[in-house]
Amino acid sequence: MESLKNKFLPKEKFEEESKEVLSSWPTGAEVDREEAVEFHKNLPDDSCMVDKLTEADEAKKTLTQPRAGVALPDELIDLLGHLRTEGEADLLPVTIDSYTRQNQYEKAAQGIEESREEGRSLLNGFPAVNHGVEICRKVVEALDAPVQARHGTPDARLLAEITLAGGFTDFEGGGISYNIPYAKDVSLEKSLRDWQYVDRLVGFYQSQGVEINREPFGPLTGTLVPPAVSHSIAVLEGLLAAEQGVKHLTLGYGQNGNLVQDVAAVETLRVLARQFLDDEGYEDVSVTTVLHEWMGGFPQDEAKAFGVISWGASAAALANATKVIVKTPHEAEGIPSREANAAGLKTSNQIVSMLLDQSLEDSAGLEKEKDLIIREVEDILGRVKELGEGDWAAGTVRAFESGVLDVPFAPSRYNQSGILPARDNEGAVRYLEFGNLPLSADIQDFHEEKMKKRGEKEGRQPGFQMVTDDIYAIGKGRLTGRPRG
Amino acid sequence: MKEQNGNDGEQDDITVVLGVIGSDVHAIGNQILERALEENGIKPVNIGVMASQEEFVDAAIETDADAIWVSSLYGHGEIDCRGLREKLEERGIGDVIMYIGGNLVIGKKSWEEVEKLYLDMGFDRVYSSDTQPQEAIDDLREDLSAAGDVSGG
Repeated sequence: MESLKNKFLPKEKFEEESKEVLSSWPTGAEVDREEAVEFHKNLPDDSCMVDKLTEADEAKKTLTQPRAGVALPDELIDLLGHLRTEGEADLLPVTIDSYTRQNQYEKAAQGIEESREEGRSLLNGFPAVNHGVEICRKVVEALDAPVQARHGTPDARLLAEITLAGGFTDFEGGGISYNIPYAKDVSLEKSLRDWQYVDRLVGFYQSQGVEINREPFGPLTGTLVPPAVSHSIAVLEGLLAAEQGVKHLTLGYGQNGNLVQDVAAVETLRVLARQFLDDEGYEDVSVTTVLHEWMGGFPQDEAKAFGVISWGASAAALANATKVIVKTPHEAEGIPSREANAAGLKTSNQIVSMLLDQSLEDSAGLEKEKDLIIREVEDILGRVKELGEGDWAAGTVRAFESGVLDVPFAPSRYNQSGILPARDNEGAVRYLEFGNLPLSADIQDFHEEKMKKRGEKEGRQPGFQMVTDDIYAIGKGRLTGRPRG
Repeated sequence: MKEQNGNDGEQDDITVVLGVIGSDVHAIGNQILERALEENGIKPVNIGVMASQEEFVDAAIETDADAIWVSSLYGHGEIDCRGLREKLEERGIGDVIMYIGGNLVIGKKSWEEVEKLYLDMGFDRVYSSDTQPQEAIDDLREDLSAAGDVSGG
């Protein structure tokens, strides 16, 4: 493989690779991009994700979006229609099943067949590649809100070809965020390269006047991820996408639970993205934000689960996130019923509306927290750029090799897993171990001091038991995992 | 935390193969279980996420494991686990203790239905995703002493 560089893929190279991608499964033959451009141009305005996000951003509103996907198209349309009408979802997803995410289309085919036989979905999402372009279009045309592909696919080239030709107007993921938390053995060089193709494809549609939104996956492992870690990765994926011609980015963050830290995180994500995009000459790329409601373990009890959901919606609204990804009261049990999913949406919509005109802007501590996140991200990304000798793609690969970029609890062997996060005494996420994160000495002292304070309060040494307790805490009705008894 | 259940911190040569089956990448519970086993003096052989049935069987044979702990969080457990007990039998270790835990089906099913589904597949115990590691560790010691493999606590 040629060494990876953050450079726009030339047309000939892109077309050549397309042939290979589109012939890797029979439904690839259905893709005709010129015809797909026409299809997009004839779609009603309410199918366009970029329009909806831009409008909300200008009005400072927070839109709601669920996660949902089942094996068969009619059931999918029924499910999404229910979430739209009953749940009042502003934006719709199609969540893709885990076999498709690993390019195991034969297994997905088996899942489709067994789901038909049993009359219920045996897949945890919609196998869009197996169903193909025409069926994706049928789904899009049956709904009156924009549809986004949400998944977790390290090599999403074919999935992007099929869903974008199929009328989807938004595509989630990125070469880091859909590899490190979603795979074990895929090299970063490979996934970054494959995502250049996806971004280049979005850039193609964009160049033909079709507005497509791109959303790197913010929460990563969804478990005690410090804001600076996920922000650094979100900004990097934004830069890499912009180089391939993407014009509309939604950057994401997974709620950690401390309100001041969460609001500071969403606000700084926007500031940092703008700063780095402008510095690199991508002033024409728009940035919106998304907050993911609590991604960790949930309480079994539905009333308690609604409490967690409301807290996420509150953080999203107070931070002015452009949209919020909504959880459901059945979260503790795995994949929710459509009624539970709609209930989560209604809870979130209610809170978001109630907080529409409220702000935390002058709260004590918010500015301090924002400064901290910005300095941390600048430390990390500054080092990434040095490592890449100015090239963000090469820098990303070297940064993961050396632990300068590092995601807690990730399954990938291309991740050093040297950092260990835990909550401080106020429930904000700090670092117990820094691994090789290039944070300034005074920032490290700040985190150490915070952890020491919690240790004193709980009468124990800060350590892995604290982390385990934190991971189980929300399911047991608390944010911070204090010792029992 | 409970005390180490009569173990007095001694190694008693229990080996558990653990992993997340199928195309599932949920890594956090897997890492917590590994640490919990270690802290209880049990040897974990962690084959990690995205583990195939063959990897579980091979690891169990290579390490002469006392038990196999399968995790599945993403809902495809039903498809992924079918035939695992038969594979163990074919390879001559059909009597190894086998537990499963996680979010084990798609959609809402009663716990009794879920448990029966997996017991019928040949699992010895079935756990929901909010189970603390210590519960399964205590059960394992009990099951092993009942089987006469370990002198018991």
